[in-house]
Amino acid sequence: MSAAVIDPHTFDELQANAGADFVAELVDTFAEEAPPLLAEMRSALAAGAAERFRRAAHSLKSNSSTFGATRLAGLARELELGGLPAGAGGIDALAREFETTLVALKALARP
Amino acid sequence: MSAEVSVGPFGRFAILTAERRLLVDGEPVTLGSRAFDLLAALVARRDRVVPKEELIEVVWPGLVVEDNNLQVQISALRKVLGAQAIATVPGRGYQFTVAAAAEAKVRPALRAGHGTSQRGARLLVADDNKVNRLLLCRSLELMGHTVASADNGRAALERLRSEPFDLLLLDLEMPEMDGFGLLEQRTADPAALHDVPVIVTSSLEGVAPIARCIELGADDYLHKPVNPVLLKARVDSSLERKHLRDRQRELLARLAPGAVGEAAPGAATGGRTEATILVARLRELDALAASQPAQETLELLGSWTTLMLDAVESQGGAVLQIAGDAISVVFGAAMPSASGVAPGAAVRAAREMGELMAQFNAERIATGKAPVGLAVGIASGEVVAGYTGTPQRTAYVCVGAAVERAARLEALAGGSAGAVLIDGATRAAVAGRVSTDTVSPAVLPGSSTAVAVHALKPAT
Repeated sequence: MSAAVIDPHTFDELQANAGADFVAELVDTFAEEAPPLLAEMRSALAAGAAERFRRAAHSLKSNSSTFGATRLAGLARELELGGLPAGAGGIDALAREFETTLVALKALARP
Repeated sequence: MSAEVSVGPFGRFAILTAERRLLVDGEPVTLGSRAFDLLAALVARRDRVVPKEELIEVVWPGLVVEDNNLQVQISALRKVLGAQAIATVPGRGYQFTVAAAAEAKVRPALRAGHGTSQRGARLLVADDNKVNRLLLCRSLELMGHTVASADNGRAALERLRSEPFDLLLLDLEMPEMDGFGLLEQRTADPAALHDVPVIVTSSLEGVAPIARCIELGADDYLHKPVNPVLLKARVDSSLERKHLRDRQRELLARLAPGAVGEAAPGAATGGRTEATILVARLRELDALAASQPAQETLELLGSWTTLMLDAVESQGGAVLQIAGDAISVVFGAAMPSASGVAPGAAVRAAREMGELMAQFNAERIATGKAPVGLAVGIASGEVVAGYTGTPQRTAYVCVGAAVERAARLEALAGGSAGAVLIDGATRAAVAGRVSTDTVSPAVLPGSSTAVAVHALKPAT
């Protein structure tokens, strides 16, 4: 069995520390900010720009960890530290995991 | 001279708001700066019961403070004004009661405290990632700070140049100008920026970025996602250090006008002077830290430091160093006072520390916690004192045999009964005014020759 999409402990702590309403808004912000980062990764890959690629992956990893999105953070971290990949397969997998994560986050944020 | 603003008189005493002094029968009475703020707040609101939270917000603006601190300050005020002067209304708060206060029992008049009270902190957050930025701002606002933000290093730099901030929280990877770039600018333009401490927040992995930030003068480094308990501890600690630096700078400016410009690396200003050094340490911390949650240890340290600073400020001492469970203070060197008063002020501060600790322990025991001990060493002599440092880090320093001796006396006190130990020079200066037991001759830790050591007897 794979790890949970969202680590409930991290998410609960975040809500306890920052307030549930604020976290719901923060999830909305993440929903707006992540797609441009995925697009940045694709464009950096096409341009062969390793540093731009790493930075975008780093931002995604950082935000995923904040919400306790462990699996998404793990995928982003592999891309951050792995250098410019040969193909877009890793980004595709990251984008799919982001969709799954977002559904789970929205359900947790506004039950 | 500004016009004197006073409140009262209430029976035998009056409060001089502008001078931050309490007068009893026309004589100034010693009061720590927090205690003064608390009294002023209670008097201004004497028509009603004031909730604890409101008092804490007035006295420790922008800081998250335990109830314990407030109770200790209330106890201190009651000692000066009489127990009936401040009524406890269970579950609601405290109220200043004028008629009872008129009957105030009064301590002997001493020089009044002059400490500056801490402002509500203004923080700047620099982070290009919107999720991180919003969350960090939110966390800091919940701690009671005023927070502004910038989404890259250049924008942050512009804000730092155009308005005052108490602390910068800085991300490393940002467009336009990254965190390293900003730290380098800060070194290049110290006049505008070196007074603002920086805490770096980043999720970059490895120790290389941390090392580089520290080299570039950052105060501290926090990994993202930022742990809220650590964030509060580090922010409080940086703000306190800045507060002390500002205050020491003020004191030195009074001592040697013009000397406190932009200190060049390695440069020291100041000179030789007679001074008394006091070193105080919280005892049994290691045992407590091993047996209680980290948060409780942090709170204990915070409360202890607050109490010690109150005692120091009320006697006009200047803090040299706060290192976790120890605090070093100088009396005399940076004070514009007449010579010869420093040993007495240090001894009074030690007594006040003991009294505050007794009240603090009473509160701890009442809540089922173990009491904590205090060890104090005091030594007098010639020291070289002044303001030194690099553009990133500045400190008021004090060097001399008395500094070493005070630390060794504290170690000796901590190893035995937890008493206040003073050296021969201090004892000679306060002879006839305080009573002491001679422990000497004793070989102090780290020394091979026996010197005179005296234990301060409790005040009667």
